[in-house]
Amino acid sequence: MTRKSKEKNSSTVASHQVKRRKLKFLADMEPKRMIVYPLVVFIVALIVLAVHFPQLGIDLKGGVVVTVYGVNVQNTGTFAKELSAKLGVPVRVESFKGINVYGIRVYAPAGIDPQKIIGVLKKVFPPNKYPNVSYSHTEVLPTFGKVAQAQGIRAIVYAFIGMAFVVFIFFRNPVSSLAIIFSAFSDMVIAVASMGLLGVQLTTATIAALLMLIGYTVDSNILLTTKLVKQRVSDLSEAYLSAVSTGFTMSTTTLGALVVLYVVTTSDVIRNIAIVLIFGLLADFMNTWIFNAGVLRWYLGKKARGGK
Amino acid sequence: MVKRRKRGIKKLLLNFRILVLILFLAGSIVSLMLQPLTFGIDISGGVALVVQTEHPVDAQTMQVIVQSLQRRLNTFGIKSISIEAQGNQIILIKIANITEQQAVAIKQLIESQGVFYMEFNGVIFGSGKDIVRVGYYQIKADNSWQVPFTVSKRAAEELAKLAKGKAGWPVDMFLDPPTNSILVVSPEVYKLMNSTEFNAQAPNAPTLLQRIEKALNITVVQYTNQTTPEQLFNVAEKMKVKNIVLAAVGKGLIDQLRKYGLKVRYVSKEPGESDFAFIKRVLGLYGPYALGEGLANGQPQTEVSINGGAQTRAQALEEAKVVYTVLSSGSLPVKLKVTSMEFISPKLGTNFKRQALYAGVGALVAVFLIVYLHYRRLRIAVPVTSTSLFEVIIILGIASLIKWNLDLPSIAGIIAAIGTGVDQQIVITDELLWGEGGEKIRSRGSLSRRISRAMFVIFASATTTIVAMSFLFEFFVGTLRGFAFTTILGTLIGILITRPAYAEIARYLLGEE
Repeated sequence: MTRKSKEKNSSTVASHQVKRRKLKFLADMEPKRMIVYPLVVFIVALIVLAVHFPQLGIDLKGGVVVTVYGVNVQNTGTFAKELSAKLGVPVRVESFKGINVYGIRVYAPAGIDPQKIIGVLKKVFPPNKYPNVSYSHTEVLPTFGKVAQAQGIRAIVYAFIGMAFVVFIFFRNPVSSLAIIFSAFSDMVIAVASMGLLGVQLTTATIAALLMLIGYTVDSNILLTTKLVKQRVSDLSEAYLSAVSTGFTMSTTTLGALVVLYVVTTSDVIRNIAIVLIFGLLADFMNTWIFNAGVLRWYLGKKARGGK
Repeated sequence: MVKRRKRGIKKLLLNFRILVLILFLAGSIVSLMLQPLTFGIDISGGVALVVQTEHPVDAQTMQVIVQSLQRRLNTFGIKSISIEAQGNQIILIKIANITEQQAVAIKQLIESQGVFYMEFNGVIFGSGKDIVRVGYYQIKADNSWQVPFTVSKRAAEELAKLAKGKAGWPVDMFLDPPTNSILVVSPEVYKLMNSTEFNAQAPNAPTLLQRIEKALNITVVQYTNQTTPEQLFNVAEKMKVKNIVLAAVGKGLIDQLRKYGLKVRYVSKEPGESDFAFIKRVLGLYGPYALGEGLANGQPQTEVSINGGAQTRAQALEEAKVVYTVLSSGSLPVKLKVTSMEFISPKLGTNFKRQALYAGVGALVAVFLIVYLHYRRLRIAVPVTSTSLFEVIIILGIASLIKWNLDLPSIAGIIAAIGTGVDQQIVITDELLWGEGGEKIRSRGSLSRRISRAMFVIFASATTTIVAMSFLFEFFVGTLRGFAFTTILGTLIGILITRPAYAEIARYLLGEE
């Protein structure tokens, strides 16, 4: 073995040790407190949801969006007022900017013909003066919005049931299975609550993001559960520390990639997915490595005492 | 020592799992080169429509609808269309690379059922079945248009019989009129319909009001501000009809009328539209045409035409094209409604693809840096990042091979698969590096045990993801299917190809030392 690779090894070990030291406070926490804190966050999220549920996007509610690429509007508020007056319906205007792309989006209630909005916009931005302007539009009738809503709910419920089923089959233990299922549920609740607070709309894309959360949650929870359940009780704290440091590496890596995704892209869809996942993964770190770990440590400890 | 190392690399490359990875990677690159990726409407531009039938239909009818739509859109001049029936009421239509004007015409084309009537003196003498051949449409300099067509001998003879001695009387043609309904109109419109305005050159012929009542069972009711929903309901009861058409009047009555179990349609008047044009639009009326001398003498004539006019030449062209298409492709078995329409300008495509590339490269660089920060070793950071890159290439390769349309939700699915992929590679790495003791382990036997334990975690979570997503794929109608598909595909490639290969590479790189 060369000296160089030895040095590299020692720096790997050193950074690993630092991570373990920093995460040690989690291993030293009482199981009861590990269970209670995430539960409090969960209840707060429920209250936030009850008070301030995220708005439904037009694909779930019905409505019209016209996107104009290649124009700049300084004051979207006054522009929206002008447009509303010309169209006779209230509209909302948003501007966006990214690499090589900029423009505005005009949101209007269902029932108005998008061509009418485009007609008015073409008078504001005459094609002979703005030759590079292009228009996209989306129109969703409220009836289809209802269909999409029902499907979104069904998708989440089915995915959840499927996940719960497989988790039960793999662990055949009600306590660890229920803990996993609860953390997945709590992840979603917290993610949706933070959407409400941040003003991210609930759309088919963000529903997809919530479904992605199920995959991530199951990953980290299964890692934790296998490590703890298959361990001798005396090593519980050591096993937890080893699992949580892996979990920490996983979460930070994924979060980093998501933050880059959020910053780089201008696609509304990808941005919204990234933001929902960022909050969902933060919630997941808490729910897996604190809540579920607390439940397992309490349960395994109790089982060991009962067995003695 | 160097010799041993070389043998090690050779052994690694010949390892079955690595071979599989290399094979798939090479295959994917070839597939991507031979057959470029196809992108969804939301990326490359075009129109995506969700169409709903008026009521649920059986599988056979659905097939007829899909075929008719295909024929109609082909007749309209659009070649690459994807029409997909989902469930018993929803049809998804995707058309790439069209202009906005075409998109609007297509919506019209889908929503017109194409039921055609020819009427004279309150008697229907021909329908869509009597159209033998449709000639090519013509646009004139004054932006009027004409679609000539040939009717069957039977219809021509029927008209000749009815029309004997009635030169100058009106002949009406209707496309999708509101049959069997109560038509509520303003007093001015009512007066116009009951005048001789629609009588061509025959003041003594029955008025339009009388003709449509007799031929199409449309009862016209005058609207005043005293009109109540109850009155309208009573008229509907008396006439035994369930449909009410509100022609730019009584908008406030819609909800109350629906409570009576009536089907209500509200038609608003366009700014600047004359009452005459408005009536024609509400009724789907083309004409009236004055009956020629020849027919009035009992000579059957099979060559007829439909005429119209528009404000601009482009509009006239679209109108003529729609009528031409509907007449030549026949009627649909049930009325369709476009419930969602998304038009994306084709100009955006290249821009978006470049952005997706930046985002992907950015995310990979982030993964590389963070993994390096955690382990401080290129020997880990490089394989983790490159395995993820290989995974993306294989997913894209398979997508191009099976011609999967990559839309935004599909890309989200790929992101999800890569995200869990990186996570699972970290599980393998940590398991190899630290094991349960936190101390570096050496013995070969325990290495394999560790890998198989990491694989259990990976297998369990992959199964869960696949089961959850299969539900989605199976039961979901609409856009999330692309998401479910790429997630499943990515997860499968992960557990079957890239994760086992990464485990081998990691075992080689970390275990050899």
